[in-house]
Amino acid sequence: MTRIKRRRRTKISLFASSFRGAHSRLTRTITQQRIRALVSAHRDRDRKKRDFRRLWITRINAVIRGMGVSYSYSRLINNLYKKQLLLNRKILAQIAISNKNCLYMISNEIIK
Amino acid sequence: MAAQAAATTFNGNLKKALAGLRRIDLEGLRWRVFDAKGQVLGRLASQISTVIQGKDKPIYAPNRDDGDMCIVINAKDVCVTGRKLTDKVYYWHTGYIGHLKERTLKDQMAKDPTEVIRKAVLRMLPRNKLRDDRDRKLRIFADSEHPFGDRPLEPYVMPPRNVREMRPRARRAMIRAQKKAEEQEQGGSQRKGRKKEAKTEVAT
Repeated sequence: MTRIKRRRRTKISLFASSFRGAHSRLTRTITQQRIRALVSAHRDRDRKKRDFRRLWITRINAVIRGMGVSYSYSRLINNLYKKQLLLNRKILAQIAISNKNCLYMISNEIIK
Repeated sequence: MAAQAAATTFNGNLKKALAGLRRIDLEGLRWRVFDAKGQVLGRLASQISTVIQGKDKPIYAPNRDDGDMCIVINAKDVCVTGRKLTDKVYYWHTGYIGHLKERTLKDQMAKDPTEVIRKAVLRMLPRNKLRDDRDRKLRIFADSEHPFGDRPLEPYVMPPRNVREMRPRARRAMIRAQKKAEEQEQGGSQRKGRKKEAKTEVAT
């Protein structure tokens, strides 16, 4: 009888083996914390997409404002859409980090 | 340290100016100098807060503090518009019942002009765990002396601002005040014998 309980619980405690303190040692706590961890993971998979997009936007904004007076992320995106340039924010942020001048060149091309 | 000892032409506040400098980890940061002379308080504080948060860098990350060190000089020459010099009141509560204290901008400038800018910037930063660290990166000096002369400093150029045109009533009042000042100057130069009390503007 106990074999079945033990087998089930060891599977669950394997998941929580890297948790801190009682969360990896006590069986009842382990089941609860496992559920919470999985819920967080599920919710944050969608949040991750939002969070990264926010980060890219902030980074692009930071670099673009250095370009000239009253030029900003919003105007850049407006120009991008007007010229139908399909670069997304992730790529623009990577360009901004690695090679600022390239981004300035792109934005100058778009303004015209 | 020897160079800093030589550069202390300004007294006493050396301890406060160098306080906690060791706690700030990275020295890959730039040192930006803001000159507050003639700048409007809130607009200056807004620019300072963006620089302090590191939001002008492409490697900004919200979970770590990557802003530059900001030095503000001439803090006593910062300007405010309107009647804020007498009407802007700083409130704080000491915790005891009924002890809501207040102090006007004028008194605060007389007492400690650096606190005005510090409060303005601090209240523009996001209220999170990095706020205290960011506060440590901000050094404000009332006059134009600072003990960081031996570091590579970069002056910060404020972005150009389009000042709003004065409203007609305010403009007429200003012209009236100017004409009065001119008349009094002329009147004072014509009659030297008489003592005339000329109205002087309060220096901010």
